[in-house]
Amino acid sequence: MRMDLVLELLDVPGQLVSVLEPISGLGANLVTVIHKRDYKNENGMVPVQLTMEGKQEDLKNVINRYEELGFSIIEIDGVIKKEKISTILFGHIVDRDLRDTMDKINAIEGVLIVGFDIKLNGEDKSTALINVEADFGKKQMFFKRLEEIAQEKELLVINEV
Amino acid sequence: MDECKVIIMGFGAVGQGVADALFMKKELIKEKTGFEVKVVAAADSSSSAISAEGLDEKLLVDTKKNEGKLSAYPEFGSDKNGAEILDAVEYDCLIEATPTNIVDAEPALSLTFKAFEQGKDVVTSNKGHLALKFKDVVSAAEKAGVEFKYEASVGGSMPIINFVKDTLSSCDIKSINGILNGTTNYILSRMTSEGSDYEDILKESQELGIAETDPTQDVEGIDAACKTVILANSLLGIDATYSDVKVEGISKITSEAIELANKDDYLIKLISEVSPDNLQVSPRLVKKGSSYDVSGTLNMATVKTDLADEVSVIGLGAGSLETASAMLTDLISILKNKN
Ligand SMILES: NC(=O)c1ccc[n+]([C@@H]2O[C@H](COP(=O)([O-])OP(=O)(O)OC[C@H]3O[C@@H](n4cnc5c(N)ncnc54)[C@H](OP(=O)(O)O)[C@@H]3O)[C@@H](O)[C@H]2O)c1
Repeated sequence: MRMDLVLELLDVPGQLVSVLEPISGLGANLVTVIHKRDYKNENGMVPVQLTMEGKQEDLKNVINRYEELGFSIIEIDGVIKKEKISTILFGHIVDRDLRDTMDKINAIEGVLIVGFDIKLNGEDKSTALINVEADFGKKQMFFKRLEEIAQEKELLVINEV
Repeated sequence: MDECKVIIMGFGAVGQGVADALFMKKELIKEKTGFEVKVVAAADSSSSAISAEGLDEKLLVDTKKNEGKLSAYPEFGSDKNGAEILDAVEYDCLIEATPTNIVDAEPALSLTFKAFEQGKDVVTSNKGHLALKFKDVVSAAEKAGVEFKYEASVGGSMPIINFVKDTLSSCDIKSINGILNGTTNYILSRMTSEGSDYEDILKESQELGIAETDPTQDVEGIDAACKTVILANSLLGIDATYSDVKVEGISKITSEAIELANKDDYLIKLISEVSPDNLQVSPRLVKKGSSYDVSGTLNMATVKTDLADEVSVIGLGAGSLETASAMLTDLISILKNKN
């Protein structure tokens, strides 16, 4: 069987070699590899696309080996890995059109709200915890857009460090 | 035996701490550096004690504590104050611990420039002149060919500036995130452990002397922003000043916010972020059990580097002897360089 992978590598010499080694070493075959060192994503990492072929068992061993080596696999067979992000909003969340706020967050590319919890405080400002799932590598973009939405609605955002 | 004559400017918590610590560590400093340190003057806002022969550190502290003014120091008490003290006695190093002023950086700025012009080294705990005019002050020291050290200005006793400059000197520093204000960390920690409201804990902290009567500098993130600027300039080479920092304090943090964060295993901390594309002080979510999970008045910082990945430090961010420890370390490293 075949498997397509996208990995993120540090932009330092020798990284690609250590990615390719386990493939033949564990009995699989490399079909294609695309490594563009001049392209960096928002984390300053270089993505590598590769396709390998082999027995299911061997391919699985390669993936395990990558995880041991600490390589981030961001896509397997076209399915993008997700990151969970928690964030807290504080302000007149309901009065400032909660529905619209949620729609705007969901409209951010690669981002989906998966959890929401709100504490109301009478007429006062309220506090909400929002959990989103974001495509790998979309985190900074999410923070930036959220900041804009919050500014427009005069909400305080408490993001992860 | 070589001698190092010091003037202690500002004789509050930190200045007195320096006097106490010098008294305790004289022998150690002599052993490590070969220098005998002598306090030739100490000054508060309106008076001083001056003697070329050296003053008694214990008596300085007792006089200030009991009489309120250093002019009451037996025999050597004086009404001289401010910059004129730097002309009144021969000295080698100015230990400057006057109040932080982020409007015009005075009196620290003039005192420091004057010491540089006189060819003297300066050790400071002050943040004002560094937050407003870092580049001017540091380049003035370079031009004068003197040493200027300011470890105590960030994180009190927590090593960060010298630590990164000396111990992590092989690394490029990508960013620093840290908890750089002990008062707000104390308030947030207590809100978390007790589920109480901000106002109640603030009041208690004031009664305990942990928060000041006017807590604005701490709770609105101003103090942390000054430290953010100092780290940005000194460790990341970012030419920034106080107004470049985005600042949000902790006064809007509710017990509900802390409770919701807790649900997802997070704590809320006032974090200073120092990176080339963001200088910011704001409440942030940090994972329980992570290096950011330090409570009480502790400070911490995580330094992201190219070679060593992440390195974290923790320590007491304030206190009289604690802050003095950082100033003595600076003094010792200046004296070691003289050999
Ligand atoms: N406290 C800490 O734990 C800590 C930690 C790190 C850094 N720092 C920094 O260290 C500095 C000193 O802090 P502190 O806690 O010691 O403050 P403090 O207790 O308020 O003491 C300030 C001292 O400076 C004196 N002073 C005021 N104006 C002066 C002037 N024009 N010339 C000479 N002396 C003057 C005051 O005189 P009077 O006695 O006559 O009022 C007082 O003795 C501040 O810049 C602070 O930000 C403090």
